[in-house]
Amino acid sequence: MKSILRASVAAAFILAAGANTVISEVKIGVLYPIAGTGAVYGTPAMHGHNMAVDEVNAAGGIMGQKVVTFARDTKLNPAAAAAAAKELITKEDVDVLVGGLSSAVGLAISEVARQEGVVYIATIPKTIQMTTNKLHKYVFRTSSHTDFEGDAIAQIVKKLGKKSICDIQLDYAYGHDLAAGIEKGLARHAPNVKKLIDLRSKLGATDYNAQITQILGSGCEVVTSGLWGSHFVNFAQQAKPFGLFDRVTYVSGGEIASHEIAGKMGKDYPDNVISNTYELWYDHSFPGHKKFQADLAKRSGKKETAMWPVLAYIGVKFIEAAGNKAGSMDADKFAAALEGMTIKTPVGDRTIDPKTHQANTGQFWGPMVKKSGVDYRVMSPVTFYPAKLD
Amino acid sequence: MDMLLSSPSFAFIQVLNSISLGMNLFIIAAGLSLIFGVLRVINFAHGVFYMFGAYIMYSVTKEFHMNFFWGVIAAAIGLAVIAVLIERGLFQWLYDKEHLMQLLLTFAIVLIMGDLAKIIWGTDQLSVSYPESLSGATNLGFTFYPSYRLMLCIVGPLIFLGLWFLIEKTRWGRLTRAATQDMEMLAALGVNVPVIYVTIFLIGSALAGVGGSLAAPINSPTPGMDATIIVECFVIVIIGGLGSLWGSFVGALIYGFVFNFGSVIVPNWQDVFAFLLLMAVLLIRPWGLFGKPEREGH
Repeated sequence: MKSILRASVAAAFILAAGANTVISEVKIGVLYPIAGTGAVYGTPAMHGHNMAVDEVNAAGGIMGQKVVTFARDTKLNPAAAAAAAKELITKEDVDVLVGGLSSAVGLAISEVARQEGVVYIATIPKTIQMTTNKLHKYVFRTSSHTDFEGDAIAQIVKKLGKKSICDIQLDYAYGHDLAAGIEKGLARHAPNVKKLIDLRSKLGATDYNAQITQILGSGCEVVTSGLWGSHFVNFAQQAKPFGLFDRVTYVSGGEIASHEIAGKMGKDYPDNVISNTYELWYDHSFPGHKKFQADLAKRSGKKETAMWPVLAYIGVKFIEAAGNKAGSMDADKFAAALEGMTIKTPVGDRTIDPKTHQANTGQFWGPMVKKSGVDYRVMSPVTFYPAKLD
Repeated sequence: MDMLLSSPSFAFIQVLNSISLGMNLFIIAAGLSLIFGVLRVINFAHGVFYMFGAYIMYSVTKEFHMNFFWGVIAAAIGLAVIAVLIERGLFQWLYDKEHLMQLLLTFAIVLIMGDLAKIIWGTDQLSVSYPESLSGATNLGFTFYPSYRLMLCIVGPLIFLGLWFLIEKTRWGRLTRAATQDMEMLAALGVNVPVIYVTIFLIGSALAGVGGSLAAPINSPTPGMDATIIVECFVIVIIGGLGSLWGSFVGALIYGFVFNFGSVIVPNWQDVFAFLLLMAVLLIRPWGLFGKPEREGH
């Protein structure tokens, strides 16, 4: 009799729990380009994401609930990303969206998040618009942005003591915003530096000869740029025989100092490049990085790990901290918890500004130099530029 | 624009830029056009063949540390083998079916080979070094120009001459041209048409492989590189005329000049001019500058 009573009490509790829709798991919708061109970045990003989710679950999950991930391919395409984000919210009923790669994709996901009232943490997109004129209460960004990046470039141009620049950017949101960020930075740090020409190449461009010859013709001392990934590889390969890198210093955003670029280019990497990265597998400036890197190396099966995983990793760590702090995955409570929140990451502490929803994400900058014993270039010296505009 | 007018050597370099870009594209577009001319198949997979050519070059030079020259040969042979497998295994069953079926099949090949490339070579952007002897610049007397680009300016016309000779001056070429006119009559005369078909597909695909391998030091092998090139090739062969060798050659040169001078004169509109030209051709002379209008009922 006693056991029947106990069983029915238990059953009643279970039913009550169901009626109250107590969440049994926290659902994260993650959006990266997994197939096609963008897989170069999406695949390593997913490594970082999954590693963070495993760590969170091993530590007891969020509010004691298991974290599950629903991954969708953005195909590097804003329309596809928006459709996937909508599907994640309406069909999979995810509690929060995270990820995004390319500024256009980030803005598209952000718009869906605004309409649907779901929090979106942008981990990679850099366009300044996301946290300025297109800011809304559900979007947060943990990557850097084009004003920080442009400011660092301007500081470096000032340090070099050069007087003229050429700017070459990709013709879409990120390139335009970075060009503006560099101009604002130059006005702050080096108002006497003259910009001789402004060049634009389309996203996905493969031929840069016309631009290279114009840079050489203009006689500028520094080239500022944000050509990223294969754009930079193609530009560099085409510019080297023209002797461009012997005549200018190439100061570039777009994380071309990351090991995925330097490692793959090997001895083809050009001279006189100063660039940035979010993370370097060989630089343990911040506590916790050594362990993070070792775990990532184990997971991805290579010692020299890529830079993208840390960005996706940090996105999940913010979800964990905010969920636990809010004690709920309700979008408004969750968003409130993110505002002003600070967490420790393998690349330094990160705080989200309560007004702009922007994390103070600094980057490592430095010249890419040859190192004896290895056939790829490394950044040396490594300088951390904190995220501030002054 | 100012530089173009004030500096003759700058203008001359733009001419060389245009020719070298055009010649690299010609090698690829010629293959696409050749296959269409004889097989009447619009091969969307041509871009992915080009991508494989670039990846094969990477493997040969960076993984097996062999000479650049062997990379070009390996790309040609590799794509020839793939072409035979695809033509004999798949295409030959579709020649008498609708064009739509063929298009869908080539599109399926794009997706399958694209994924295959990711499995074999991964998703990173790779980089291929210039061959040692062509890594610098050549002194032209009044200016320096990258030696590798000059090589492309020479190799393109050589390939053009080779193809022209093959098609216009050999018995085999005459049979090929006859096959484009009336395949059934040719078969009735005892000519082995399937052999002609597979050979044409092989040569066309090998050209894509060679084009990809030659482009590899300039265009880093990366997933999705096929999508850009296939659009450029279509622009070229539509301007020049699908199925015409001369058309591909002149179309590629026009594309090179329009793209390069467009980039210098109106930098932010660099792509528009080629597409405007494409539209004009489609409206005024839909069969292209060197093509022939399709016969009724074909």
